[in-house]
Amino acid sequence: MTAVTALADASAGWSWNPVDDLRQMWAYPFMVNAFRAGTITAVASAVMGWFMVLRRQSFAGHTLAVVGFPGAAGAVLAGASAACGYFVFCVAAALVIAAVPRTGRDAGAQEAALTGTVQAFLLACGFLFTALYKGLLGGVTSMLFGSFLGITTGQVRVLLAVAAAVLVALAALGRPLLFASVDPDVAAARGVPVRLLSTGFLVLLGAAAAEASQITGTLLVFALLVMPAATAQTLTARPVRSLALSVAIAVAVTWLGLTTAYYSDYPLGFFVTTYAFAAYVLARLARLAAGRLPRRALLPAAGAA
Amino acid sequence: MKAAAHRRQPRPARRAPFARVTPTRLALGGVAVLAALAATACSTASTGSTGSTGSTGSSSATGGGTPGSAGDGKGGGRTIQVVAAENFWGSLAAQLGGGHVHVTSVIDNPDADPHDYEPTAKDARTVASARLTIVNGIGYDSWAGKLLAATPSPDRTDLDVGDLVGVRPGGNPHRWYSPADVHTVVERITADYKTIDPADAADFDRLKNTFETRTLAPYTQAVAGIRAAYAGTPIGASESIVSPLAEGLGLKMLTPASFLGAISEGTDPTAHDKALIDRQIKDRQIKVYVYNSQNATPDVQQQVKEARAAGIPVATVTETLTPAGASFQDWQVRQLDGIRQALATALGK
Repeated sequence: MTAVTALADASAGWSWNPVDDLRQMWAYPFMVNAFRAGTITAVASAVMGWFMVLRRQSFAGHTLAVVGFPGAAGAVLAGASAACGYFVFCVAAALVIAAVPRTGRDAGAQEAALTGTVQAFLLACGFLFTALYKGLLGGVTSMLFGSFLGITTGQVRVLLAVAAAVLVALAALGRPLLFASVDPDVAAARGVPVRLLSTGFLVLLGAAAAEASQITGTLLVFALLVMPAATAQTLTARPVRSLALSVAIAVAVTWLGLTTAYYSDYPLGFFVTTYAFAAYVLARLARLAAGRLPRRALLPAAGAA
Repeated sequence: MKAAAHRRQPRPARRAPFARVTPTRLALGGVAVLAALAATACSTASTGSTGSTGSTGSSSATGGGTPGSAGDGKGGGRTIQVVAAENFWGSLAAQLGGGHVHVTSVIDNPDADPHDYEPTAKDARTVASARLTIVNGIGYDSWAGKLLAATPSPDRTDLDVGDLVGVRPGGNPHRWYSPADVHTVVERITADYKTIDPADAADFDRLKNTFETRTLAPYTQAVAGIRAAYAGTPIGASESIVSPLAEGLGLKMLTPASFLGAISEGTDPTAHDKALIDRQIKDRQIKVYVYNSQNATPDVQQQVKEARAAGIPVATVTETLTPAGASFQDWQVRQLDGIRQALATALGK
């Protein structure tokens, strides 16, 4: 009888008790792995995305993510694991994009043009790979729009190792990178290796995008790469605070997304993206509201203090 | 309003300005956060998986879980939870297990395509509570393989039809259209039931004998009848799902394998193949045209039209059980009757 009740609990719906709901979900190893993978990815993406938004390289980031699709399709075609394809293609595309010098007035335009070119070509390759694959290439939709079912413990370990490597490398590059991101000309004049930093950053971004692709799909990567960082940078200009906020938002939308997807049976990618979008809209509205009443707000605040 | 007021409050001690914050410390902080989170996740994971062993164990012992498509649990007894990726295998499993099993088929809707099915969280939960799983394999239902890999369980028996009948990925996955393979799978399901629930072994043997000799008899007879009367007749088909059946019936498949594969796998057929098939139809080299009505691409529809115009009888098959609640044998026998009628019309015997 107790076993029957336990099972009824395990398959029951949403209870509004977060502890019960989490316990219910974590009774299943596939959900434990989904939460572990989602958390690792969210942290790495939020940190890398924060620098990406600061450096105005969102388009490059999008391209790096999108080339994960031909990567995954090509890897399956060649008989390797999809994860391996994500990483190889994303990092290789990063090196190609980094080959364009980022100096001079029209550097941004040149990089954008090359990025667009690389993106279109590699997407076309992805389409060819799916056509070449003799047999049934399952899961194209989940490659594009994400999936959280079927993540193995081995995959979680790979995600963790890559995320740790990316964050350690970023820690080493962080200080000069921030300088070079905020004012590349002055940094170059001071002897900071701007070009090298830019290449290194793109490679790390490629690795982070490859990670995020495996959770949100290659088309919805921005849900974790751009949206949390953009939201955080809307709310505060202070680096420490906005970086921490970015990580917090990314983890929160991932957990909320996983929970909703688990209880609703609808795709994860939609929920993560929607929550991230809602956070961004709220942040903009809060910013707008704060901007509208700066003078009046100061007086009662002084009174309250 | 009040919240906004609080946020605008001037702070007595300002933080260091933008440029002076050391990003190294920031990033190191990030690593620390990640490490902490990972550690938390790992620790919850270990408690989570301990919990899950209990819950999956209890679910296989009791009759709960998701409502099944076939089979009725014998209240209170040891009911084996069976999850089949597709309903054609599920139908066999339900009839072979009788009241001792509770079968849930993930794909039980004629409109769902098993090739590119995206499993839901509910499917993953169903798989996680299974004692026996049956997947087709051979790359046909790779989503099911992923669900199994994400929920490893030492108590679960996984039956992969492709592995059982020795067809490797890249081979023809439509094993339920091969009469010989159907019998192999029937034997294996019963063997697995007997291993899982040895107490009811005699029951399972009895169920299997009834199934093979009585329930499946019309199917076996229909196959043997067509084979005896029409073996060697050249036919055309829309996709590779027909190939194992043609082999089992002794019919000669004239349609190029590359075309059959392309339609089955959802890729574009070549112009050369299409021209060849057009000629086969116009010259009436094929006596009957068989197509999968659940996967009638424009190319296939065109060929159906051409075949009818050329006076070639057309028969249909479907990917999964049609209608959804049909049993495996009723479905197959109805299709075999259609093929026999088409052959009879074409050959006038």
